[in-house]
Amino acid sequence: MHGRSQTVLIILGIAIGVAVQVFLISLMDGLQRNLIQRTIGSSPHITIAPPLSAPRPQGIGGGAIDDYPKPLKTEESEILSWQRYGDYLGGMNEITVAAPIVNGNCYIEKGRSSFPVIVKGITLPEADVIYKFKKNIINGDLRPGGNNVLIGVASSEKSGLQAGDTFYLRNQKGTGDYFTIQGIFDLGSSAANNMVVMSLDRARTFLDITGISAIEIQVHDVFAADGLAKGLRGSFSQVKVESWQERNSELLSGLRAQDTSSVMIQFFVLLSITLGIASVLAIIAIQKSRQLGILKAMGANDQSAARIFIIQGFSIGLAGALVGILLGLGMTQLFMFGTKSSGGPTYELKITLVNVLLPAVLAAASASVASLVPARRAAGLNPMEVIRNG
Amino acid sequence: MDNIAVLERINKFYGDEVVVQVLFDIDLSIRSGQFTAFIGPSGSGKSTLLNIIGLLEAPTSGKIVLDGQDISGLDKNELAHYRNDKIGFIFQFHYLLPEFTALENILIPHWIGKGKPPREVADRARYLMERIGIEQYGGSYPHQMSGGQQQRVAIARSLINQPKIIFADEPTGNLDSKTSGMVMELLKEIVRENKTNLVMVTHDRDIAAGADRVIEIVDGRINCDFTVDRAGKEKVRRELEHLASTFSGAEGGK
Repeated sequence: MHGRSQTVLIILGIAIGVAVQVFLISLMDGLQRNLIQRTIGSSPHITIAPPLSAPRPQGIGGGAIDDYPKPLKTEESEILSWQRYGDYLGGMNEITVAAPIVNGNCYIEKGRSSFPVIVKGITLPEADVIYKFKKNIINGDLRPGGNNVLIGVASSEKSGLQAGDTFYLRNQKGTGDYFTIQGIFDLGSSAANNMVVMSLDRARTFLDITGISAIEIQVHDVFAADGLAKGLRGSFSQVKVESWQERNSELLSGLRAQDTSSVMIQFFVLLSITLGIASVLAIIAIQKSRQLGILKAMGANDQSAARIFIIQGFSIGLAGALVGILLGLGMTQLFMFGTKSSGGPTYELKITLVNVLLPAVLAAASASVASLVPARRAAGLNPMEVIRNG
Repeated sequence: MDNIAVLERINKFYGDEVVVQVLFDIDLSIRSGQFTAFIGPSGSGKSTLLNIIGLLEAPTSGKIVLDGQDISGLDKNELAHYRNDKIGFIFQFHYLLPEFTALENILIPHWIGKGKPPREVADRARYLMERIGIEQYGGSYPHQMSGGQQQRVAIARSLINQPKIIFADEPTGNLDSKTSGMVMELLKEIVRENKTNLVMVTHDRDIAAGADRVIEIVDGRINCDFTVDRAGKEKVRRELEHLASTFSGAEGGK
């Protein structure tokens, strides 16, 4: 039967289309989540910083927390009443953690050499939620306090310092102190691995800061960070609020472009599925016009003749979608196995119900739409045409 | 005697630009319980007339009453339903559905009209198959059967819904003469047993000679109309042999 092999072929065609879509969507989704996770997983989603050179918004007063009046210079480079910000932010459900941070540029002095590092003053456990020091300690342990500090693996390698070593740290004002390395961490990015981490209070005295440098926030839903930042900007008039989206606009536009191209590919795959099914069903409709004619002569009405093709189109689409889901899941497993065993990029494909069902549902739907063409033909067929022409 | 079909002033035109009139003011009553045969040369309009009485084609003008019901006002779907319920069709090309077995093919008219056949309908299909001698082919597909066997399946199929009237258009047209004779005898017997009516188009004079009434159509008009008793059938045969000379190369058709 010609019809049967055509049916098998078109089911295979749909299956491949659906499989490619399932694979592609899972790949893109996994890739994007991985990229976002890498970019912001171990960094703040929202940063509240002193205004510095940022222009101060005019005439916003309502709901703002007024800083205690201080000489302008200090207020512009530090957050002074940071406990009040902390209390306010701690009451917001969307926020996982709000960590007070002190930042400063310093130098590790070793003999005649000096190595620039970033000193970060933190409180535990807040900062660990963001930076995950504990998870990423490769040597020593996590107990910064007093003059015990953690240093990043990059600084450690550059300066040759090991856990347990004591070194001289000089601040920008030229004064310094001796610190002991409690542990070495590897956060995966070179900027983060160039940090010297100490307790918030020690950093404040060491860097001679009255307030703090920033409040770093992580939120439950990373994509809500932008909106949340906007809200906070309305509440806090005297500080600069920045979301990760604003800091990573290039990454985001890249992701958006990827989304667009993925949608385009899916659209054209669907289009070709639809056209394929339409053409096969149209051929079947012509091949079957004899049988349709006799069915109509025997009393089948136009609607039931049309229904045959719509049911057929839907069944073909459904069969193709089901085979395609299996094929697509197989492809994702194969890909993950392949990348894992070859030591390639180790990101996981994101297989969600939506990623799998959406292409399948769309394929079955477009198959049904495609069947409307032969269905109309079948409905309009006059049995006499067939019977008279034999 | 009741009339199973009454036709009043039936006209049929074909074509839009070039209009051809195929039937001219046909008035005809077909009586119940008779085997009626339409004969006539190729293109005479006999098949068109049969299709109009069988509600497969609408006349351009005129009135049709089938089994006491005026069908002029019925819409397309009502006509389809009426055909399914009251009419059986047997065509020259048997038109069995190749994907279905013989038994399933016989049950298709029931499927169309009333859905899944109950046990007694399936039993009736088996009885019909047995009656026409194809009971061993119930599970066979059409391509596994001979032309004569397929046509017998078509006969059983036309009877499954117990129609009031069976229309047959050259039912033995592509069978050899021996098979043709057997199929015809069977058809006549089973029509009689089922108390239905048989209306047939044929150009086979032997078959026409077996009919109770023979209507000759020439150029869209009724040319001759014989009603015969058994004694008169020999006379009809002679008459038909004379007419046959006018059927130059008749091969069915319209």
